[in-house]
Amino acid sequence: MDIFVGLATVLTDPVILAWIFGAAVIGMIVGAIPGLTASAAIAMLVPLTYYMDPLAALAFLYVIGKSGRYGGSIAAILFNTPGTAASAATQIDGYPLAKKGQASKAMKVATISSVIGDFFGEFVLIIGVAWIAAIALHLGPPELFSIYLAAFVVIGSVIGKSVLKGLASAALGVLIKMAGLDPVTGGERFTFGQVELTDGLSLVPLMIGIFVLAEVFEQLAKRSAPPEITEEPDDQASRDRNRLTWDEFRPCLPHILRSSVIGTVIGMLPGLGSTIAAFVAYGEGKRSAKNPEEWGKGALEGVAAPEAANNAVSGPSMAPLLTLGIPGSTIGAILVGVFMIHGIKIGPTLFVTSRELIYSLFACGLIGIVFYGLVGYFGAANVGRFITRIPVNILYPVIMLTAVISAYVSRGSLFDVGVMILFGFIGWGMKRFDFNPAAFVISFVLAGGAEEAFRQSLRLSDSGILIFITRPIALAFLLIGIAVVIYRVRSLRAKPEAPSLKDA
Amino acid sequence: MTHTIKQFAPGAATLLIGLAAAVASFQIGLDYDGSWGPRIFPLMSAGVLILLGALMLRSATSEPGNTSPQESVPRDPFILLGLVILYLWLIGKVGYLISTAMVTPATLWLFGIRNPLALAFSALAAPAIFHLIFFELLGVFPPYGAWFDLLDVIGG
Repeated sequence: MDIFVGLATVLTDPVILAWIFGAAVIGMIVGAIPGLTASAAIAMLVPLTYYMDPLAALAFLYVIGKSGRYGGSIAAILFNTPGTAASAATQIDGYPLAKKGQASKAMKVATISSVIGDFFGEFVLIIGVAWIAAIALHLGPPELFSIYLAAFVVIGSVIGKSVLKGLASAALGVLIKMAGLDPVTGGERFTFGQVELTDGLSLVPLMIGIFVLAEVFEQLAKRSAPPEITEEPDDQASRDRNRLTWDEFRPCLPHILRSSVIGTVIGMLPGLGSTIAAFVAYGEGKRSAKNPEEWGKGALEGVAAPEAANNAVSGPSMAPLLTLGIPGSTIGAILVGVFMIHGIKIGPTLFVTSRELIYSLFACGLIGIVFYGLVGYFGAANVGRFITRIPVNILYPVIMLTAVISAYVSRGSLFDVGVMILFGFIGWGMKRFDFNPAAFVISFVLAGGAEEAFRQSLRLSDSGILIFITRPIALAFLLIGIAVVIYRVRSLRAKPEAPSLKDA
Repeated sequence: MTHTIKQFAPGAATLLIGLAAAVASFQIGLDYDGSWGPRIFPLMSAGVLILLGALMLRSATSEPGNTSPQESVPRDPFILLGLVILYLWLIGKVGYLISTAMVTPATLWLFGIRNPLALAFSALAAPAIFHLIFFELLGVFPPYGAWFDLLDVIGG
């Protein structure tokens, strides 16, 4: 019932509807620009949301994340360049379709599949999240610490090419978070006499550095050529070729439903994210397809499967964030900052203290899906053409200037701008040496809660760290973490050429 | 076949960061009851970094050397880094407007824009637009220059 109240709240507020619509368009554009991700856009726009009411702020960023995941398909199909890592799976069949003059048809399938997948994931979130939160309320500090530890290990080992570098990125995120005053004793840690460090490093400038400035450095290093669109002639033959019929779409439906389930399950697990979901769904779709020989040469089902899974991740990835305070993705990590800025404590009590806000946010998500679906179905080609007109050599300097001012705005501090620059450079270095910036940021966000749970556990324990082994749920999560590392190491040894899974 | 810096650098950097963090962790005060409470997490992270750094170095030495030509390090990102640091310093000295007017054309130049009119226009437009959005519309208090600030003259 709460969701209907949320829908009524949102649908009767034109200001929030306008923010959602704006977010749907911005996310789509950002997702479609190769190199620029929804995470970068959200990190850059966080400071703007300080001046918005909490629901509008959260809805704006949440819908950018959803729409950005879909926007990647525009670049994959029209430019033969994946806008996001996940849309590389869409590109396998999307671009051959574009070369056959069926780009619009491929975009329609991508849009419908994304919308169905996103709705599926969002409904699972709405139905299941309060239930998970109710269970989470009964978890004690040892169980919570084990969940945090499993999240560190999963996020560090699953994302990226190297387990060692991924885990090192996660450990570095934890270490950096330790700077500042100790929350229990008030003693200084890693402040080196700097007054500005006593409050610790702020999340927002760090994120802007890692996700935005690092990308500006990378673009300058790469000097990518502007994308070229696969144009279709504006004649009757082209329109006929691109009309999507029910007979063509019907074979896609089983793939969309299966991929939606795959994306939903993967989305609930911290750190896995859209890229893994899209490639797993593509592989599973091809394995079970009636026409596997056509996959890779321009099969509509090959577009539908990864797109549905990619977007089905979006809603469920919010479940660990909202119920346990554990962000399952980079977008989730950024949203933690927004919740904090607006004085909202995330975790299981969120459904007691801010129930109406959360269900209104879910309602915004549902409306956002409709908006990006409509804009994408009727205007994806126009979005593609618009992106080809954006001069990259002007875009990235503007992004650099925006990053500087956004970092300053977060606390009105030039020290934060320095932090942003430092982590921009570190983030760029991490990318070049195959470390994992996403694991670094997510671990930075998780570290405070993990340390609190760890120290509380030790105070509760009569047997020291054995408390994590003697409590069954805590032990189960520790074993999950160990199992994931072993599995990942073995799978990397078996397939050293496995694709890099860049985004969480 | 020789091992490249790119093969060793990640492990060495991770190991060094871990060692430095371990040393710094021992400077952290103890808990009220004399326990290691505030030190445990920093030390654990440092220990993990040392372990992973050592494993990375071991794996770098065991893998075959690189026969492909050395990948050159791009120079432009380092120039941009210098420019952004200069920008930060200038904001503190001459305020947001003048520093942005100076840095914007330089950044555009770095990204390949050579049209003098476009560069001159950017020097005027960028500070004006960003000032209007962030300091006028959003009401953020702007960073003032210690030496001179244009806002003192134009009354912004």
